[in-house]
Amino acid sequence: MSRSILSSIAVGLIALASHASASDVRGIVTIERKLTPRNVTPAAGLYQRGSPVALESDNHENALDYERSHVVVYLEGDRLGASNAPVVPAKMEQQNRRFSPDLVVIPAGASVSFPNFDPIFHNVFSLSKAKSFDLGNYSKGQTRMVAFPKAGIVAVYCHLHPNMTGTIVVTPNPWGVRVDAKGQYTLADVPPGKYTVVAWHKTGGTFRKNIEVTSSKDSEADFFVPLAELGVGEKDNHAGLHTGH
Amino acid sequence: MRFATRAFLWSFLPFAALLAGSFWTVRTAALSAVREALRTSVRDNQVTLVREREQSESRNTRILRVAAENPALKAGLQLLATERSARETARRTVEDQLSEICDTMGFDFLAVSGASGEPLAGVIRGQEGFAAMDLKPVPPAKGFFATQGHIFQVTSVTIAQGDERVGTLAVGERFDLAGVAMPAVLLHGGSVVAITTPGANKSETEAALHKCAPSAECEVRIGGETYMSMPLENSAAQGAEDGFTLRSLRSLDAAAAPAQLVLRRVFLSAGLASLAVAIALGAFSSRSIVQPLADVVARLRESGKTGVLPVFAKGKRGVREISELTDSFNHAAASIREGQDQLVRAYVEFVSSLASALDARDPYTAGHSLRVSEYSCAIARAMNVEGQEHELIRVGALLHDIGKIGISDAVLQKQERLTEEEEALIRQHPVIGKKILECVHGFEAYLPVVELHHENWDGSGYPRGLKGEETPRTARIVKVADAYDAMTSDRPYRRGMRHEQAISILEKYAGTQFDVAAVQAFLTLGDIIQRPAAGDDPVHNSLQHLAAALRMETASPVAPEESRA
Repeated sequence: MSRSILSSIAVGLIALASHASASDVRGIVTIERKLTPRNVTPAAGLYQRGSPVALESDNHENALDYERSHVVVYLEGDRLGASNAPVVPAKMEQQNRRFSPDLVVIPAGASVSFPNFDPIFHNVFSLSKAKSFDLGNYSKGQTRMVAFPKAGIVAVYCHLHPNMTGTIVVTPNPWGVRVDAKGQYTLADVPPGKYTVVAWHKTGGTFRKNIEVTSSKDSEADFFVPLAELGVGEKDNHAGLHTGH
Repeated sequence: MRFATRAFLWSFLPFAALLAGSFWTVRTAALSAVREALRTSVRDNQVTLVREREQSESRNTRILRVAAENPALKAGLQLLATERSARETARRTVEDQLSEICDTMGFDFLAVSGASGEPLAGVIRGQEGFAAMDLKPVPPAKGFFATQGHIFQVTSVTIAQGDERVGTLAVGERFDLAGVAMPAVLLHGGSVVAITTPGANKSETEAALHKCAPSAECEVRIGGETYMSMPLENSAAQGAEDGFTLRSLRSLDAAAAPAQLVLRRVFLSAGLASLAVAIALGAFSSRSIVQPLADVVARLRESGKTGVLPVFAKGKRGVREISELTDSFNHAAASIREGQDQLVRAYVEFVSSLASALDARDPYTAGHSLRVSEYSCAIARAMNVEGQEHELIRVGALLHDIGKIGISDAVLQKQERLTEEEEALIRQHPVIGKKILECVHGFEAYLPVVELHHENWDGSGYPRGLKGEETPRTARIVKVADAYDAMTSDRPYRRGMRHEQAISILEKYAGTQFDVAAVQAFLTLGDIIQRPAAGDDPVHNSLQHLAAALRMETASPVAPEESRA
């Protein structure tokens, strides 16, 4: 912990030096259990006559790493406007009959392109309130671009492949990130003010935490995502927000 | 052929034939019953299996209907229908979908065809994963489908969009004939693709099944065995010329073999046992039929040897025919005995008349023959001579001087001493006697006594001059008796000697003229030998004696045998 404090101090000092009026929000998201049951989807193979397409084996990705990396953290606050940082166009590829990445975080107003890298057709669509669209069938090498003007959670599917699922989290402001595999996140250059830090997990739900960001000091907001294993009705007693210090 | 054999064969053979025939019939009936029962059980078994197969197929169909409602697949088909430009990619997309579905459902083969039956896409499970399959028409509802070196058992359902039929979804599982729960054969266009029936040859099976109707139960003979075949699955019946036919093929013979073996063993052992019983019974019955007869025959055979006719006891035998036979034999035997008695009487009368003729010629020798016979018999008894030889002595002695018939009375009755010529004539009498009796049938045995009763021990006798034991004992004994009687008899020219004197003369010439043993035997007789008193009527006496003696003696051989019978 002292090490992380040291490093945050270091990061804070750097931020302070570069951007005197803003500081970072950082924290650790703790997930202790596997949350999402996942099926192994065979790769979308090239179905050539006579040559069998090998089934893909389960990736040996750490389940908790996966869960942590599928948590999105963003800020809510009236005073937050558009960031002056340039918006990098987001991309959600279709590869091996999966959306890759299957979780994209974009600020409202940004666009996502859906290029198809599979040798087969895909038909990407969404019926979410934030944005509903149907891109129609398109094959390898083609792409479609969709703009997401409203903040919200957009679930993306493929008509042809019911197993394919992806999520686009449209945040109301540019301060939104995916937590890394270790559970750490950093929301950089947050102007001073009172905010709500929101942590979202697809099955875990949404967790909120109010913080006050001052220009002199970095803020911290840690989350504990107490997710019950799917299919087990048991409620975790530790469910709820876990506020750091 | 012996009567026993005949009786045995007649009693045994029809019995055996009847037995064998009935056993054969029963055995055949039992075998066919077993066969029929087995056929029924095989049929039931097959029917059950067929039903099970049908049930599993209908389950498959239900699962398949769910799969056919897969919206993604429908979307894929839609894609195929609309994407004319990127048809290949669309097909791959569908193939990819199919492989996913197929993997989830655990089939080996999944294919879709269009509304008009044209093949659109299909995947086949390989060792590493799914591969696209060659596009060819899949059987419309169910059946076998051969592609890429494998045979699949296929079930198809319609994919519908609303009321519109957009295509057909066919699933298949790799067909392994060994997985069919009974011996079966898979035919493709009439030729055998695979067969799991043990012992059935491919080409023979092909030829045999050719006659079977595609959708009917059928019994065929392959390699000498009877097989039963039921159609399990028949796509040929649904119109396709080169369709597959799956038939069960099970050997009835193999199924019936254990039961038949048991039956055969049972019948064989029962048959052999009853044949053995039949043989024993036949032998026993034929024996019991023949035995009384055989006894009769045996006794007759024995009587043939001894010359004594048996008398069969009456009423002892249980068999009436045999009793009648023995009774009639007894009658016949009685008649024969009667005849024999008459013969003996005739013989006795003949000998009597001979003797009396002889005696009538010479009153001085009256009774001589009878006496010599008596003496000889006494000597013989003393020497322990019995039976046949004794009889020879007795009768031979009676006849010993028969040859004197051929000598003229002048010589025979001459009062004076005989001249040498007369002596020579007298000496002819044994030879003459022999010649006379030679002609009489049945008197041959007495010839030695008649011919040789004048031979001497030292060889100085006549007519042959035989020495010692060259002369038969019968003749030697008669010689002693003859000499004694001659010496003790009165002659015209001399009185008879006294007993003692005669004895002394016998003793004196024993070893020269007489046989020592015979003389000694005579000496032991002592007072038994008594010359009858003179003055009796010799002729009458001798005849009476002779007749009495003969009657008594000739009757004696019959009497003991009668008592024996």
